[in-house]
Order: sequence, then structure tokens, then C-alpha cells
Amino acid sequence: MADAVENKKNIAEGVPTVTLTIDGRETTVPKGTTVLMAARGLGIHIPTFCWHPKLKPMGSCRMCYVEIEKMPKLQVSCALEAMDGMVVLTDSDLVKRGRRAIIEFILMNHPLDCPTCDKGGECDLQDQTFAHGVDDSRFDFQKYRFTEGTEGSTFDDLRIGPEIVLNRNRCILCYKCVRANKEAFGEYDLGAYERGNIMEIHRAPGRQVDNPFSGNLVEICPVGALTNTDWRYKIRVWLTQTTSSICPFSSSGVNTLLYKDDHQQKIFRTTSRPNDDIDDGWLADVTRYGYQIATSPDRLQTPLIKKDGQQVPATWKEALEIINKRLNEIKDKKGRVCIGGIVSPSLDNATLHSFSKLIRVTLGSNNIDYRTQYRMLPKEPENVYDAMSARSFKISDIDDSDVIVAFGSDLVKEHPNEYLRIRKACNFHSASVYSVNPYRVKSADVARREMIYKVGTEEVFLNGLCLAAIEAGMAEGGDLKEKISPSTAAEAAAICGVDAEHLKELAAAMANGRKVTFIAGELVSRSRERLCISSALANLTRLLGLENKGQVSILPHYANSFGAGKLGLLPQPPEGIRNALTELWGAWPEAEPLTTDGMLINMKKEEVNGCIALGCNPVMLYPDREFARESLEKLDFLLVADLYETETTGLADVVLPLASWAEYDGRYINLEGRVQRANRALKPRFESKPGYEIVEAIAEQIGDKLYESSDQCEQEISRLVESSNVQPLPDKYFDVRPAEEESDEEYPIALFVGDDPHHSGHLTEKANSLFNFCGEAYIEMSSELAKKLDLKEGDSARVESKVGKIIVPVRISTTINNDVVFIPRNFSSTTVTALLMRKKRTDRVKISKVVN
Amino acid sequence: MSFYSPVRTNAAEVAKSDRLHLFKYVEDPQQANIDTFVAHGGYVAWRKALTSMKPDEVREEVKNAGLRGRGGAGFPTGIKWGFIPQASTKPRYLVCNADESEPGTCKDRVIMERDPHAMLEGMAVASFAIGCHLMFVYIRGEFGHCIDVVNRAVEEGYAQGYFGKNIFDTGYDLDVIVHSGGGAYICGEETALLNSLEGHKGMSRIRPPFPAVEGLYACPTIVNNVESLASVPHIINRGSDWYKSLGTEKSCGSKIFSLSGHVKQPGNYEVELGYNLKDFIYSPEYGGGILGDKKLKGVIPGGSSTPFLKPEDIDVGLDYESLTTVGSMLGSGAVIVFHEDTCIVWTIMKLIHFYRHESCGKCTPCREGTGWLERMITAIEHGRGRPGDVEKIESVCENIMGRTICPLGDAAVMPIQSAIKNWRDEWQYHIDHGKCQVKTNTEFV
Repeated sequence: MADAVENKKNIAEGVPTVTLTIDGRETTVPKGTTVLMAARGLGIHIPTFCWHPKLKPMGSCRMCYVEIEKMPKLQVSCALEAMDGMVVLTDSDLVKRGRRAIIEFILMNHPLDCPTCDKGGECDLQDQTFAHGVDDSRFDFQKYRFTEGTEGSTFDDLRIGPEIVLNRNRCILCYKCVRANKEAFGEYDLGAYERGNIMEIHRAPGRQVDNPFSGNLVEICPVGALTNTDWRYKIRVWLTQTTSSICPFSSSGVNTLLYKDDHQQKIFRTTSRPNDDIDDGWLADVTRYGYQIATSPDRLQTPLIKKDGQQVPATWKEALEIINKRLNEIKDKKGRVCIGGIVSPSLDNATLHSFSKLIRVTLGSNNIDYRTQYRMLPKEPENVYDAMSARSFKISDIDDSDVIVAFGSDLVKEHPNEYLRIRKACNFHSASVYSVNPYRVKSADVARREMIYKVGTEEVFLNGLCLAAIEAGMAEGGDLKEKISPSTAAEAAAICGVDAEHLKELAAAMANGRKVTFIAGELVSRSRERLCISSALANLTRLLGLENKGQVSILPHYANSFGAGKLGLLPQPPEGIRNALTELWGAWPEAEPLTTDGMLINMKKEEVNGCIALGCNPVMLYPDREFARESLEKLDFLLVADLYETETTGLADVVLPLASWAEYDGRYINLEGRVQRANRALKPRFESKPGYEIVEAIAEQIGDKLYESSDQCEQEISRLVESSNVQPLPDKYFDVRPAEEESDEEYPIALFVGDDPHHSGHLTEKANSLFNFCGEAYIEMSSELAKKLDLKEGDSARVESKVGKIIVPVRISTTINNDVVFIPRNFSSTTVTALLMRKKRTDRVKISKVVN
Repeated sequence: MSFYSPVRTNAAEVAKSDRLHLFKYVEDPQQANIDTFVAHGGYVAWRKALTSMKPDEVREEVKNAGLRGRGGAGFPTGIKWGFIPQASTKPRYLVCNADESEPGTCKDRVIMERDPHAMLEGMAVASFAIGCHLMFVYIRGEFGHCIDVVNRAVEEGYAQGYFGKNIFDTGYDLDVIVHSGGGAYICGEETALLNSLEGHKGMSRIRPPFPAVEGLYACPTIVNNVESLASVPHIINRGSDWYKSLGTEKSCGSKIFSLSGHVKQPGNYEVELGYNLKDFIYSPEYGGGILGDKKLKGVIPGGSSTPFLKPEDIDVGLDYESLTTVGSMLGSGAVIVFHEDTCIVWTIMKLIHFYRHESCGKCTPCREGTGWLERMITAIEHGRGRPGDVEKIESVCENIMGRTICPLGDAAVMPIQSAIKNWRDEWQYHIDHGKCQVKTNTEFV
């Protein structure tokens, strides 16, 4: 009874409940809860194989039997809804017999090759056989053995994807992998074939299991039927230790667990550390296999210094002395302001904050920026954009949103975790999803309506939504109509090339939605017109009152982008942050603030002579390669710290080895503003050092120690994080006058550059597993366009823009169906940013076939 | 004039009878043509229901008539129709389960082949009763000829305005889709059938939700057997009281029984429910006695999934209740007769081979259990049985019975359990002597 009262307190008011008795204990649960969940709520464990908390129940393994009074047969608790007055027994003799029978059935054709199976030690089947099975088998026939396609393998193993190995003999057919693939990820590269007791899990004919979530299939496999190559035969699970960490590649801050061996100082794998507020226990492959960038032997081993045009290894002492000397030279020659600092937003709070102090206080410069991949950052602060990209946003609020709009974002590539959330909202709560993009994307597979706007008309589309809402009387427009152009929704629809009815439908859905989530992505934040687009978005938000009934945000892209914004790593941080920093440091440099763009321009003009680049690779990722390279080459002194030798380190006078996120305790702020900790799993590899230590060492060498202790830095950070709240949107509409989109006859095809689904940023190509998924750049285009250009899958294509050309293999897209192309930017072997021009809004190219 | 599948029927008797009705024109080669069907009083019930009745009146009529599902479970059809949530705004579907694949059963095939409009008319009336505008016929893939005949009948029906838009100027629209199955016994189970119809693998779904609430494409769906639906027009035409007067008190109406095995005259016979099984086998109108005038060994009264009856138990009415009292079931009404020379182990081996092959593989007990049973029983039949095997089989059967998602698991073990119960000595003889007690196996028809 006490349980029932206790549980009832936790249930929101107005939710219908049922009360039932489980093993003599009464409990009250919301209506619709399964008996299994009700029992778990009481701490009663019912064993399962096929049940997964994030998938719909299937009831196929029959392990979760319970006995229910007045029901003659055993019932499967995972699919049975709790009813008022039910009396449930989870441990009666009948239940025990039932479970024992199931274990016996499952073990019948299971090879029991635990000594050679990598799942041994963490296998559900092992555990449950010990707990519920018998020690002898009554089955005295030869076990069925799947051998087809496994010739040459010792244990009937079959590689079904770049990183996944299947052993069908061990499979107990719980179907979790197939269901997760289909339900949670929307992928169909794995299936169950044949029927009855020769049914087998297998890849789809002619396919590889290489979807960007495929690693999860291995993790949820209850036995050793699916294993991944990074873990196989390397170590036994009981010899490893675990460290809680987070994903350093995405802004969601997906929670992970690193399996490592302290003696070998090596990480062996990453698994999820389910956090229902963030990740639901799913990891994208880039998160799962990305740990390999920390353990690769190609890491930078020692500091490098340039001597006679050659970079040679040096000690930290030498390197720091040179840094001090060269920075002093610049200071003496020109004064302090001619130093710039650019930093990766994937680094932890302490590094970012101390770097900020180094640049602003020690070096007295205002040239600091974490946005190294955006084009045409204006001199003046982008208040609207900053506000729109740091709205209050909760990932778990996507779940019960009834209208979800994904705007200008290829979610699978940019925000895989949020894509899975949207799928969940769609599967479990029938949310209406709208996908609005300049080309078809994979994440639109759950969309009720997918709208493809003409390249470079984002703000027109948003204006059109406002106009459609006003025209249909869904909202009071006030003076908005005079402030935006075009003047009618129909006109806007025509400019964007979308159906006016669809525009109206979306506006109505957002106006009438109970809870609306509006996600804008990289196509907004990386656009030259980001200010204009975010103004249009702010107008829409205000017009439809979206923030009163949901959330709108331009999602940040990197692990700590949100944190970098909050800690004020901008040349001109918002007023509140600036004041807080001035208060903390007692001073604010007088110098003129320069953005990354401004710094690069001034480097070219030799007005900025020194630069410190921490963990970033502007040569590879800045959207105008030649410009970035030429600018950095003009520098008197370039200091770069990174994990690997990159194109940017190649230009540096001093290169310092940076420790990876797994090698120190760091805090990161995810896109919700949640501060999370990634713990140190390994010692820093070779001579590398964490970012904050490097910064502190430089400061100390210059003679101006930043902090007496790391606590002091942490205190400053917490004050900043606490103080800066979400900026309110101004109570007015913004002028949004879209610029005419320039077109170019000679270069007709719009080019989009972004992350490959298996990669993120410039380092993941160093992770072996991710390299196996995709190891080189490609140009993705529709089959129609390929036909027009006389190209086939695998052909080499010459891609030319006004400023550069590259040759890449062709990949026929399964999604894109209009005349745009996509090239990933994660591969140093292909200099795709050489095609981009920083001043252009849309990158346009022409493509021809390379004839051998 | 011969039929595609020549099967002996009792059409002549039915034609004379005032009570039997399903097989009245089944020997008329022209009956599959719509004109003949209409001349024989066809589509009258459809017109009557649509023009002069309300859907709930139709439902009430069928409910009062006491018509029970003829596919095997025997659930009252009218009550099933009432399970559709009336508040639901989703489209509703009617699916005719013509995936007749229970071993021994061939009654639906005869209806579809020779009198397809009877089924279609019943479907139309049922659709009207549940408010459905799109109905499906899911026909077993192996029934190629049936699919042709039904397709032609549907075309004729459209051409003459019995289906399509604005039927009989009432504004009611009704479309028919004929779907061919992919060849799986399990697709006769309604949820597996719906999966298959949706294009998924034929695997049963976990219930609840029941199809009437969330069936085809997650919309309310009623799945009825061919024979159940073919009975509906007769109820509408002649009233529920008349139908109720047929058969026994709780098992109303008449039913087609497929008689097969060691009898002189195998065939499909329509009799009233409650007809004596012994008479059915021995009467010259129907079975005509055991083949070769041998002694009877046993009878499966309701398709291969139902338990065996011993000769002393067959003096029983062919209805839902009476068969339950002797430990078997009416099932789909396939009476399979075995004479004294049948080896029961061999028979069970054949049956379990079928069930192992048809197990969909979704849930563990059926998937693994049927395979194990097959191997044990095959070993016994081939003289490799070992002491204790029979008990092991019984134990495995017990672990499958009632523990699976759909009734296929139960169906596989019920005949085994009854065969062991009734002829344990024969099993033991197989194990002890490595060979069979009876003379021959080859006469199994």
C-alpha cells in the first residue's frame, strides 16, 4: 500500500491511473503502462531478451512471462497493459517453469561457444541462463549451424558491414537489431530472412550494414551474434575499466561510457550511458567509434618548431621559450592588438575560458573567435542571430511536440541524436514532422510534408510562412507586413519554388500546434545571410508565439559551441557577458575587435602578425581555402595546437600536441545549456597536454600566470554560466528584405559542403572504423543529374568553381533529387573548401566527367 | 462439364432441403457467372441490406442468428463486428480470410471456385454492417484458379454495379481488392494475414490491440472466414430466427465439413451443426464407411490442429460444444479419418513436419519447439527412439501449449498430445522395437 501511495505522488495530476498488485505489493501506475514497467517501478526485475525500453514491444522471446490471477495462461509482461485490480505473480512455480523452458529452447541451437565469444561476461543469455535456466540440456541432436557465406571463417562469422560481424549461430532471434534499425533509425539494411527455426538475421541483399547508427545494433544485441570489429578479440570485458564521458563531436552532449584498460593505456570501445533527457541510449557511429582519434599512433608526439623552414621536434621548454620570444617581438614591433586567437568550439570550458583570458588579458587583444567555419562574419555583433542560436531548448521536449519543423538542416549529418528524437515523436506520439530544405534529405523520411525551397531563399520562405499565417487570419501581423518582402505568401512561394498550399499548411500546423519544436540547422548558421534569416525566424517566432508553446532554436553544431558563446569567446560578446568578464578580470582590452574573417583579412594586410589557433584547422574548414591559407602564410608567427598534424599545423612556426577529450577532465555545455563532464580515461598520450595547461604554460612563460589553481578558473566559469541567461527577443519585428539571389550561367550547380554522416570535423578521418565507413570524399548527386552529366556511380568527376577545382568520385544519392550536389569536408585528401568563395552566398560549380 | 477441382459434394441433397443452403448451386457450372447467380436469387440480400436496413440492424440480425466464425475459432461473427470502436474516425476495413490452408480443409476453395459471388455478397453485406468502403480478399497463393475466378467475379460485380461508386443509388461506395498470399500457413492467422496484406512478413502480431481496434494499416479491421461471410446473405434473406432454428441451440446454422482420409467417399458436405459424427462417416450419403471396410482407428474432427478422437468417442454431434466435451474441437470442420492400419507415429511425424515448416519463427517456443519435436518424432519413427522420449515429447508439448503469440504453437502440439494420450502403447512399441506395430503407412490419402 505504501508503494501505491508513493508511486501515485510521482504521477502528474489528471493522468488516469490503474492500481495493481505485483508479488503482493500494490502499485499505482499511469494507464497504459505495461506490467513489466510497473514491476520495474517496484524494483522487481523481470528477465527479458526482446524487450527494449525505446522500442515497441514485440513479445517474441517469451522470457518475461508472468502469472496473472484469473488468466489461465502465462502472459508476456512486456506487452501486457496493467489493468485495475490485476494480481500479478512474477516468481511463481509456473513462471519459473515457463522461463526455464524458454532458456532450454533458446539454448537448443545456441553454440555455447562462450570461451571464444566476445560477448562472454556481459551476455544476457549467460546471465539469464545462470539465473533462470537448468544446468543440463535434454536436447540430444546436432545443433543447427548456419554456414552459408562463411567459408574460410573459423566460427561461421560473416562480415555484414564495414564494422559489424554477424554470427547467426549465436543469434537468439530477439529481432531487436532489425526493429531498432527500422523503428528507431529508419534504416532497412538489416532484415530477418527465411522462417521458423532456420530464420536468420542478415543484411539486405546487396547491401552493407553501414548506416550511421549501425553500432547501436551491436550494443543492443543480447548475445554475441553481432560484434564490432574494434572490440572483437581485443580484450575481455572483465579486464576493462569504464569511464563516463560525453561525445565530443556533437552539440547534444550524448552520454557515453569508455571501456579502457589502465595497464595498456588504451580505450577499446564506446558504449552508451543512457540518459533519457538527451540520447535515449542511442549513439551515432561517429560518437561510438570516434574514440579512436585519441588512441591512434599517428598523434602528434612532441612539440614541433620551425627551423630553417622545416618543422623539427622540440621539447616543451624550447617551444615555450620560442613562443614567448616571438610574441614579445610582435608586441615590441607593433603593439599588442596585432595578435589573434581562434579556437575550436569542441574544447572544454576551462580551455576556452583560459584561452579567452590569455588573449584578452595577457595579450590585450580583442581578436578572439570560435567560429572558424562561418563566412563573412560582420564587424558588428549579430544580436538576433546570437539570440536565436541560444534559445532555451530541451531535447526531451521534442518527444511530445505535436508539430516539429526541421529547417535548413540535414539532421542525420548534423544532429543525428535529434533526428532519432524526432523519429520517436513520430513513432510513439504521431507528431507531424515538416522538413524544409533546399534538397531532399534522409531525415525527411518521417516527414508528413517535405518542402524543397530554391537554393538561397531561406528568408523568403520564412517570410512566406509569416505572410501565409497573416493572410489566413491565424495571427495578428501588426506592422510586420510592411517590414518584409515579398508582400504576399503566393509571391514568396513562387520565389522559393514551393507550393503555396504547402506553405499555408505548414503555417497552419505551426499556428494550431499544441507544442511546436522548430529546429534550424547549419544551412542557416553557415549562410552568409544568417543575420537576415535569423531575423525572419525571430519574426515568425514572435508572430506565432512559438516560444509560448514550444521551442525555436538554431542549433549549435559543436560539442561546446553553446559554451563558447556563453563564455564570451566572441570578439564582441553580448553586453551581459562582457560586463561579467570585465568584472572578473578587472579590465577589458581597448583594441578593435576582429572576427575570424576580420583577422584573416588583416593577416593578409599584415596588420595582424601573430595568431594562436587552438584545436582548429581553418585551412581545411574555412569556407575559402586559398584565402585562409594565404592569410595564415603572411603571419610572422603562427602557433597551432592540435591532436594531429593538419594542413594548418603545416604552416605553423610552433606546433603543440594537444590532449584529446578523453585524456583530461573537462566540462562541456550542450545545446540545452546543460553542463556535462567528460572524465579522464587515459593519461595524455605522448607529450600532449590539455588545452588549459597549454594556455597556462604560455601565460606563465610570458610572465603573467592566469590562475593560481584550476579551482579559480572553474569558479569564474560557473559565475559566467550562471549569470548569462537566455536573451529575450526584442518586442518588435525586424526588417527582412531578401537580397536578389545571384546566379551564374557558367557554374550552374549549387554545391553544399558539410559533414559526412559518419564523420564530424577534421579529425574523425583518423579513426580507423570511421575511415572504414567512408575514407574519401565523394560528390553526391541525384541520378538524374548524373545522367545529364553522363556520370555513373564511381566515375571521377571534375568539379570546378571560379576559384578552384577538385576531382572526386561520384556517388549517386538515394535522397537528393534536384540539381544540387553535396561534398563532405572531412577528408584532408580532398580540398573541397578550395571551391568555396567566402563572399558568395551559394557556392556554384560546374561538373564534368574525367575521361581516362 | 467438370470443375477445376472435382470434389464430391452433397449439392443435390442441399437443393431439396429447406434448411441447408450454402451448397445449393455448387454443382451448377454456371453459378460462378453473375447472371446465373442473380437468377438464383443472388445479391438480393446485398440490395436489401443497403436499401432497407441500417448497419446496426444488419449487425443485430447476424448477432441474433448466432453465426459463429467458420475459420476455426468459432467466435460469434455479429459480436466481432460490434468490436469496432464506433467513435473512431479512421477508415474501416473488411478482410475476407481466404487463406485456407489447414491440412484437411478444402471447403472455402469450393465456395470460391464455384460460387464466388456468394462470398462477395456476404462481404458486401458485412462491409455495410461495419461501415467499410474498401474490402480485401486475401486468397491463398496456391489457389491460382480461385484467384482467377474471384477476380472475374469482382469484375462482373463492378460491371453490374454491385460494387464501385454509388451502389444501388444509395450513395454507398464499396471497393474490392483481391490479394494473393505468398504461401504461408501462418497467414491464415488473422494478424499474420494483416501483416502479409500490408506487405510485411507473415508474422502474427501481439494482441491487444485486436484487429477490430487496430488492424490493417492500424485501422479498425474485421477479418472473417469465407464460409462465415457466405452464410451472411442467407441470414439477411431469411431472417435470424430461421438461421437460429438450424443446428443446435448454441451452434446455429449449417456448416461445410471436408471429409478426407480413409473413407469411401471423401468430399465436402454441408450438414447442420450437431450432425452425428459417426453417421457422417458411415452414412452412404456422406462418408460411406471406412476404406476397405477396415476398422476405424481414430478421427481428427476439425482440421489437423485439433486433437484426435478414438472410435469410442465418435458418437458425438458435430458442433462446437459437443466436440469440446469429448476433448476435441470443431475447428475448421475438416474431418480426417484414419483406419486401423495407420501408424500413429508416422502420421504425427507428417503433421509436425508441416508445423515445423510453417512456424513463422517469431516466438521462441514455437520456433524452437516444433523443430525439436520434429526431430524427436522422426527419430522414433525411424527406429532411433530412446526410452524416455515420449515423456520428453510430452514435456516439450507442455512448454509450447498456451505459451505462444498465436495459436500455431497450440495447433502443433494438440494432435501430438492426444496421439500420445490415446495410443501411448504404440509409441512405446516404436521405441522398444525400433519398428511399427501396424502393417503399412502408404494408404494415407
